[in-house]
Amino acid sequence: MKKVLAIAMIALLMLALIAACDNDSNGGGGSSAGVTKDNIKIGVVHIGPLADQGYTFNHDLGARTMISNLGLNMDQYIPKFDVGVDPANVTAAINELVQEGCHIIFATSFSHGFQMIEVAKEQPDIVFAHATGALAHTPDAPPNFHNYFAKIHQARYLAGIAAGLRTETNVLGYVAAHPFAEVISGYTAFYLGALSVNPDVTMEVIYINSWGDPPLEQQVATRLIELGADVIAQHSDSATPAIAAQELGAWHVGYNNDMREAAPDASMLSPRIDWSIYMTFAVKSVIDGTPIPADWGEGLSSGAAFITGLNDAIVAPGTDAAIDAARNNIINNNMMIFRGHLKDNDGNNAQITDYDGNVIFEFTDDNSFFAESTTTSAPSFNAIIAGINIIS
Amino acid sequence: MDIDILTNFFFMAVIAATPLLFGTLGEILTQKSGSINLGVEGMMFMGASIGLSASYFYEFYAGDGTIGYIALGLAVIFGFLAGALGGFIYSVLTVTFRANQNVTGLALTIFGIGVGNLIGDLLSTHAHGFTSSTEATRRVVANVGIPFLRDIPILGRMLFSYNMMVYFAIIMALLLMWFLNKTRVGLNLRAVGESPSTADAVGINVTKYKYLAASIGGGICGLGGMVISMVDNSGTWVFNCVAGRGWIAVALVIFAAWKPSRAIFGAILFGGLSVLRLYFPLDGVPAQVYDIVPYAATIFALVLTSIRKSKESAQPKACGTNYFREER
Repeated sequence: MKKVLAIAMIALLMLALIAACDNDSNGGGGSSAGVTKDNIKIGVVHIGPLADQGYTFNHDLGARTMISNLGLNMDQYIPKFDVGVDPANVTAAINELVQEGCHIIFATSFSHGFQMIEVAKEQPDIVFAHATGALAHTPDAPPNFHNYFAKIHQARYLAGIAAGLRTETNVLGYVAAHPFAEVISGYTAFYLGALSVNPDVTMEVIYINSWGDPPLEQQVATRLIELGADVIAQHSDSATPAIAAQELGAWHVGYNNDMREAAPDASMLSPRIDWSIYMTFAVKSVIDGTPIPADWGEGLSSGAAFITGLNDAIVAPGTDAAIDAARNNIINNNMMIFRGHLKDNDGNNAQITDYDGNVIFEFTDDNSFFAESTTTSAPSFNAIIAGINIIS
Repeated sequence: MDIDILTNFFFMAVIAATPLLFGTLGEILTQKSGSINLGVEGMMFMGASIGLSASYFYEFYAGDGTIGYIALGLAVIFGFLAGALGGFIYSVLTVTFRANQNVTGLALTIFGIGVGNLIGDLLSTHAHGFTSSTEATRRVVANVGIPFLRDIPILGRMLFSYNMMVYFAIIMALLLMWFLNKTRVGLNLRAVGESPSTADAVGINVTKYKYLAASIGGGICGLGGMVISMVDNSGTWVFNCVAGRGWIAVALVIFAAWKPSRAIFGAILFGGLSVLRLYFPLDGVPAQVYDIVPYAATIFALVLTSIRKSKESAQPKACGTNYFREER
């Protein structure tokens, strides 16, 4: 028995060595020798508490699903909840997970990247995976540091179809978190989805300048309805936009969570991310010693982005079929969401810029398309296109 | 300018003001007894979750027989009791054990946020997702206003079309104003807040007054939280739903110069400032500038009152120091 085990261990060691030597440009993968299904430890740095009913709840669900997908024990998952974004706290949380012997560590917030990349340099044998960030493709990033996200814009496009078919005023309202690419790509995809089935639709956007502020989200939703919007969508954490829509007789598109219980007559559906798809892939790669790409972003095709809680009682007739057709186009015909001669509100070609304001892409004609979230996992689309009105 | 935008703006300001007004009134009552309780945020969270729990479980057991007024009534009673419990804990620590008032208040904030979100999470788990009021209760907390009066053009919308908790808050402010200025007990309370040793000398039970003021004040703060969960959020527990409104209430106490009447206008002003950006956005003015305004106004008011050296509108003298008879 001991011999068999020894041989198995040696074989595994060899495999790990081969994997380590497999120095491909996309970055390293599982490299720690001797990692097995039974001894692997997985750490996750969560930005919020489990009870947030939104982002952290959803990310924790992804981790738990990953554990059951791979047949691991729950005690192999070491979560650190409510770490926040304070750099000292984040570094401490990551280091605690290192000391607990984690072989792979996930961090869930954009802000965690800067600390995680530093720890990753000191700990080359541990695999680090950072959600929503955009550092893994930079020269500074070590090979054991990875970014992951989901092509949520594809799911938002589908949700936009439901909104475009439902609206009677032809005005949509969007409660938006921050004015940058992750949010802009989301609401533009949502708007383009609506536009694909309703050429008369326009959209009003108000930022809350945080990921969540329940009373403000509600006030913003109320204001959007006053401005004529009859479908409210959101990229913010809480269910208060759904509640406002319910109270004022509008329809609603959620995020992160099925909000039908909070707003039975308003909530039509919610685009959502299934984090378990990546987490399962990444943890399995560490166990198998196979490489993990520096940037990972999948969408509807693998189920990493999906829509949930379609409320048949209130969506417009034909919504289901229209969504299915678009989903099929995206998955099987590789339809791009950001395509065609997109223009800004002044009639100029829409332009995508990088952090420094340099133009990295321009929609010059009808054949233009931007392949969002393919080279980097974090979204890049940040043009404000015609038909979308930013109020504040 | 469109008159609708002005009436809508005023309406939204009043709705946003209501939780703030309860928080401010509760803290004014507390500070009038010579105690600064910085735990308003915590007490609002406790009121929000425990008030909601009472209504939720009543509806859970009453089922279709739910009577909206009973659900709201229970939320009011338990929201008040929850806040009062927070105020009572504060009193035990600061009055009986003479702990530092600022530290105790901050600890109460952290405690209350934790308790509020914990109970809210348990409720959500019990409801397998989101809690939600029944239709009967929603009708009671809706902005139905006052019949006939609400139909007056413009003024009807601005003054007579709110939910009943808005009017309750204003009545509470008027009651508190009358109590502090026109009653013997109110005078005694102010004496305790200005000079507890003098009050003690004339036979006022300082300990009793401080306990009652902080507890009832805490209860009123709790009502502010209850309004957020029960009225604004229609009985749905939303994680972190108070979101800093308790701190704005603390700033409002200073802005209102410890006067309940001024608190009404202050709360509507602060409520209005919090939604100003949504109605009157200015190109090139970042949202953060709008967010600063309420606090800048508070500092301005503080500077103004201190320049005027008006004894009427100053903080009660004994605020921040615990009274210890043997140390006189």
